[in-house]
Amino acid sequence: MTTSFHDVELLSAYLDGQLNPSDSARLESRLISDPQLRAVMDDLRAARRLLRRLPARRAPRNFTLTPRMAGLKAPEPRTYPLFRMATVLATFLFLASFAVNGLAPLAAPRLAAAPAPALGYGGGGGGPEAPQESAPAATEAQTFAAAAPTPTPAYDLALAPTAESNAKGLSPSADNAGPAESRNEGPVSFAWQIVLGGIAILCGLAAWLSRSNNERRFRGRWDRK
Amino acid sequence: MDEFALIQSAQRGDLDSFNSLVLAYQDILFNTALRILSDHEQAADATQEAFLSAFRSLNTYRGGSFKAWLMRTVTNASYDELRRQKRRPTTRLEPETSDGEEMEDPRWLADPSMTPEQRVEAGELEHAIQHCLDNLPLEFRTVVVLADIQGLDYVEVASTARVPLGTIKSRLARARLRLRECLQGFWELLPASFRLEKEDA
Repeated sequence: MTTSFHDVELLSAYLDGQLNPSDSARLESRLISDPQLRAVMDDLRAARRLLRRLPARRAPRNFTLTPRMAGLKAPEPRTYPLFRMATVLATFLFLASFAVNGLAPLAAPRLAAAPAPALGYGGGGGGPEAPQESAPAATEAQTFAAAAPTPTPAYDLALAPTAESNAKGLSPSADNAGPAESRNEGPVSFAWQIVLGGIAILCGLAAWLSRSNNERRFRGRWDRK
Repeated sequence: MDEFALIQSAQRGDLDSFNSLVLAYQDILFNTALRILSDHEQAADATQEAFLSAFRSLNTYRGGSFKAWLMRTVTNASYDELRRQKRRPTTRLEPETSDGEEMEDPRWLADPSMTPEQRVEAGELEHAIQHCLDNLPLEFRTVVVLADIQGLDYVEVASTARVPLGTIKSRLARARLRLRECLQGFWELLPASFRLEKEDA
């Protein structure tokens, strides 16, 4: 009588105590009467016992994880968000100052466009507080302006809306000095820009240092373990 | 601290607690990987990968046998390692000495309490069994390693292998049948104590 795979399955489960009591009793009675079935069970039991006797190997090393392996980061230092915020703010203001200074000369002619005729083309010279002695000069200026109505005089007039300065602004020498002066003195002074840039750099450095020191301390704590 | 408390603490991100669990289970996981892969280096890689994966997915553990849950991670890591091995086959089977010679019984594996005869006997037995295990299809090998070598019960094996209980019973029976046939071919190599044991049975 050959042993079927179903019998092998029953024997295997029987060895592991996985058969219900009635199936176990039926198999046990068959084992008594069937020597071949008993031989198969002996072989299965021997194979199972061999596997269980396999020597357990010790792990060749510890498999503990380091924060780096686990992808853990050091907790953020308390000062870090403050420095980071200050860096962002200072950098924004620093860049904005350039934008403001750069846009100011472009915006000025448009602002000056409406009042310019009143100031430059007679308005400045004809003002009530203008002294009588300046009248010839003003007239002269009007003549000059009428002869050459370039945007530069209008800009200069807009920046200096008095009769005296109009006269100066229209003179050739004042015309050369005007634009250079306006480049240096925008709405945000150069000193402020340096201060803002300095704050941005210092706060950025402080944020980076506080974070890297904290990270080093965190890693050091694990390395010592 | 008990295992449950360690698991809960590790789930909150405490690496110290997780490492305590690693130390408790690393031998079992390494042995499982070793029996599936039959290579020390790859088994060590799979074990490390299994613990990393376990830490990353610790929040998916919802109770039950933690050992079975870890066994699943190491089984998956071993399968990945086998797939990698197929893509990039290697020739070295045994660890090497500093002279570059193959080391049959690595120093770090030797049990100092064994006599030289016992060590030879254990080595022969292990080689024979590992050879027979290697000849089993992977799904049979996994089941027999989990049930017979690591001593997991059927429910734990089913949970680890993610197959129904009936399939586990069937695979285990087939695996034992094949092992029995294979081991009969090594009868003379098996230790005398085992032969006597079987003859007595």
